[in-house]
Amino acid sequence: MAQGRKDNDAFFLGAVGLLAWAVPGGGHFLLNERRRAIVIFVTVVLTFVVGLYVGSVGAIDPVNAKPWYVAQLMNSPIVFFLGQISTSGHFPVYGRAGEIGQIYTSIAGLLNLLCIVNAVYTAHLRGLKEARA
Amino acid sequence: MNPLTCTLLAGFTTPMRIDTSAASMLWLLPLVVGIAVVYKATKVSQIRPRAFARETALLIGSILVFILVAALILYGVAWIVTEQLPAMAGGSAF
Repeated sequence: MAQGRKDNDAFFLGAVGLLAWAVPGGGHFLLNERRRAIVIFVTVVLTFVVGLYVGSVGAIDPVNAKPWYVAQLMNSPIVFFLGQISTSGHFPVYGRAGEIGQIYTSIAGLLNLLCIVNAVYTAHLRGLKEARA
Repeated sequence: MNPLTCTLLAGFTTPMRIDTSAASMLWLLPLVVGIAVVYKATKVSQIRPRAFARETALLIGSILVFILVAALILYGVAWIVTEQLPAMAGGSAF
């Protein structure tokens, strides 16, 4: 019985984490934290989109800027496809705009990572509370 | 597709023109706002618009003050190393 509950919890925590990664704020939305989810979604997506607009799609560079790319991947799996598009070499990236674009998109990813961890931790705490009740 | 949509989409294919001037530092402001909003969204127990805005504004102010203090200290150190020390030693740093 306890094992089944643990398995369910692990599955739920995984689902919260995956949804939070797939859609910024999705994890909190699953936990019925609608306002928090909206604030996170709007802020993370806006920061990421501004970064892409300033630095171009080329700011996502899985070949020559791997550490930045890892941080950018935290935004959403969509970044993986954007990375595939940018490796075609059709999107130039240079100068201060490229740096700013890279910084914005990476910070957006790290902010989403913070939200993923927060959503999973909140779900874990709720599970503990329910188990005690 | 209308021209506005085309222009917007084309904006994502080439970098903007941003000079390496002091004004380009202003690009940190929207980033500070984003960081403060998301951080506070994960920290407050409930999101009530007024309290949330107040706490976020306080965090934005704290970050900006810290950045200004750090910038002033770094500027002071650079000024001492490049202007004062060479003058004391009777030569140029470069």
